Amino acid sequence: MRLEKCWFCSSTIYPGHGIQFVRNDAKIFRFCRSKCHKNFKMKRNPRKVKWTKAYRRLHGKDMTQDSTFEFERKRNRPQRYDRINTEKVLQAIPKISKVKATRQKDHITKRLSVGRVNRRTEDRRELEQSISLVKAPSVLKEDATLTLPKQKVTVSYAQTENTPMEE
Amino acid sequence: MVQFNFKGITVVPSGKEMVDIILSRTQRQTPTVVHKGYAINRLRQFYMRKVRFTQQNFHDKLSAIVDEFPRLEGIHPFYSDLLHVLYNKDHYKLALGQVNTARNLISKVAKDYVRLLKYGDSLYRCKCLKVAALGRMCTVIKRIGPSLAYLEQVRQHMARLPSIDPNMRTILICGYPNVGKSSFMNKITRADVDVQPYAFTTKSLFVGHTDYKYLRYQVIDTPGILDRPFEDRNIIEMCSITALAHLRSAVLFFLDVSGSCGYTVAQQAALFHSIKSLFLNKPLMVVCNKIDLQQLNALSEDDKRLVDEMKAEALKTLQIGGDPNAEQQVLVTMSTLTEEGVINVKNTACERILDQRVEIKMKSKKINDCLNRFHVAMPKPRDGKERPVCIPQQVLEQRAKDQEVEKEKEKRKLEKDLENENGGAGVYSASLKKHYLLANDEWKEDIIPEIIDGHNVADFMDPDILERLEELEREEGLRLAGEEGDDFEIDGDNMTPEEREALNEIRKRKKALIQEHRIKKSTAESRPIVPRKFDKDRQFTTERMGRQLSGLGLDPSKAIERVRSRSVSRGRKRERSVAADGAGDDGMEIDNDGKGSNKRLRLRSVSRSRSRSRAPVEEVIPGEGFKDKEQKVKAIKLGKKSVKKRNKDARKGEADRVILNMMPKHLFSGKRGIGKTSRR
Repeated sequence: MRLEKCWFCSSTIYPGHGIQFVRNDAKIFRFCRSKCHKNFKMKRNPRKVKWTKAYRRLHGKDMTQDSTFEFERKRNRPQRYDRINTEKVLQAIPKISKVKATRQKDHITKRLSVGRVNRRTEDRRELEQSISLVKAPSVLKEDATLTLPKQKVTVSYAQTENTPMEE
Repeated sequence: MVQFNFKGITVVPSGKEMVDIILSRTQRQTPTVVHKGYAINRLRQFYMRKVRFTQQNFHDKLSAIVDEFPRLEGIHPFYSDLLHVLYNKDHYKLALGQVNTARNLISKVAKDYVRLLKYGDSLYRCKCLKVAALGRMCTVIKRIGPSLAYLEQVRQHMARLPSIDPNMRTILICGYPNVGKSSFMNKITRADVDVQPYAFTTKSLFVGHTDYKYLRYQVIDTPGILDRPFEDRNIIEMCSITALAHLRSAVLFFLDVSGSCGYTVAQQAALFHSIKSLFLNKPLMVVCNKIDLQQLNALSEDDKRLVDEMKAEALKTLQIGGDPNAEQQVLVTMSTLTEEGVINVKNTACERILDQRVEIKMKSKKINDCLNRFHVAMPKPRDGKERPVCIPQQVLEQRAKDQEVEKEKEKRKLEKDLENENGGAGVYSASLKKHYLLANDEWKEDIIPEIIDGHNVADFMDPDILERLEELEREEGLRLAGEEGDDFEIDGDNMTPEEREALNEIRKRKKALIQEHRIKKSTAESRPIVPRKFDKDRQFTTERMGRQLSGLGLDPSKAIERVRSRSVSRGRKRERSVAADGAGDDGMEIDNDGKGSNKRLRLRSVSRSRSRSRAPVEEVIPGEGFKDKEQKVKAIKLGKKSVKKRNKDARKGEADRVILNMMPKHLFSGKRGIGKTSRR
């Protein structure tokens, strides 16, 4: 039994899910759900459809080249069963997946960090430029920090009959 | 030579019929409409076409007749003689000749009239010419009517002639009437010839077929022949004579030894001798029939002598080969009633024929070609040595081994036996892993996981996976260490919470400004500009100003003083409504200290949820420009009316022509409850 990849969105197809289409030239297309199947029938190019892995990889949103991809590759040569090797492999797989996952996350973080920096600088600029909307210039001269001004509040007491507190 | 197919001749129509057929065809297949206004050429063409068409058809039909009837010179002499006997050669030829001349005459007529038509000058004249031409052609045909009738009769009769192949092996049966020829025919073939006690039951030739030694023989039954001079014979007898004369066959002369046919042996013998000239070169057999009535040896002396004479004649026709039983072959006895000797007669006849044909073939030149093609070689033994079968030793050993292997197979235990021991087909499931070849036999029954966490295990299989994994982890460690440094740099420049607050405040203000501006923009034209003194909403109060200024961090007291000192404030105090102040502003209200006329010194906490109450809509504010309440109400109504329809259509304004959905599904799909859906 093998877990296949959806031709359209590249997600894994678990047993009992999806549709397999065999074309007249004997090329097999596997789809994980009807959404992908219908998109395929509409002749949409997965490389242009935003939510697919193909698009994401093509436009650099997701990690493309990495040594962790070399570990998982379909080998067409059958191998004789070897318990020792199989045990090693079974131990190694979770570790490899973890490494792969962290690397992917970092890739995305790195990609998004640029935006973060930009936003920060923009905020600072906006603050510097528009501080006059909340703080009068004369106040700003006295207090040069870019914060809200301290408001002077005069509190007046209600003039009622003074009943001194009896002790 | 191919036998002429008498059945293939087309029907000869009678004179009248022919005329009818051809004239109607002319009428159908040539154009019929003509007017006298046509050009003269066209008229001439029209009628010439008709004349020519008719002539052509007559020509075709008559040619067909002439061609299809056989020419007596061109067919086998047997047939030509037979036809002559039946239909009289001369008459036949005359009839065909007449048909031929008719054909020529018609062609001539047509030619003449076509020539005349070329000079026809009016419709009427052309038409007359055409009528004349056709009429003459038809008369010609009418004149040959009797010939046509005769030819039709001949055709019908010819079609019924028996199909005799002159080149096939044939047996001819002849003799006096009533001697038993037809009965014999019925016995040996499937032919069902009439057998009756009166003479001349058989009136024409009949053909049957019989088999001998895997070959087919024709048997021809002839009508009886009487002993008469040649010239006196009638047609029926002439048929048999013709057959005798032309067909190269074996002749069976039937002799009725009992005399029950009504003729004595002497008469029959006389007949025999009169036609023996016809028996030249044909194997002749004298068949004595009806011996159940009269035995051959019980004949009278005279009869016996006559029979012997006939036998002698017959012997002459026998092939010279010195056969011991020559007599047997020539004179045979039989009885069709008791069926005694019938088969014998047939066999003898067939043998005679075969022998004769073989002889002829041997004598002809063709046989040498055949003989040259094959040669049977019979090797002669050169010495007396014996040479038995020889089998090499290896083969014998191999055979012995094979036998051993088979025995072994029977002893070895099969999977099937194992299955049967352990409970049969449904109970026992064979362990397919039994014969696996692995490094360690303990691993045979292992269950191998194929899938982990959404990955295929088989994709990861690699003997040195652990080393690679170690490398990978080392790399990862390095990478992570390097990245931590980067992170610090980015996080350096962060805002303090106060600054954040200020930024949020700024953004809020900006948004509020934009919203206000938008509202103002959209209502700019309809909103009247009300001067300050009619400001019912209290938008422009000193308190408000004071609040805003202190929000900016400034001290508003001085500004408020300045403003108050300038404004006329007495009248206004009383108009202040009780609950008018500061909804939604900062919690603590600033009290006007100083010269404010506000006697309200109590602090008020204003709930945020309190809404401002405003003057009713119809009340006329002096600065707006309305005369009185009525006018204002009317104006408001008009305003609302103009907007109502647009609002119902969900249009923002006059210019809003947006259609959100150009093809709503409910209008463009589905069947109707009633009515047609031929347009959408």
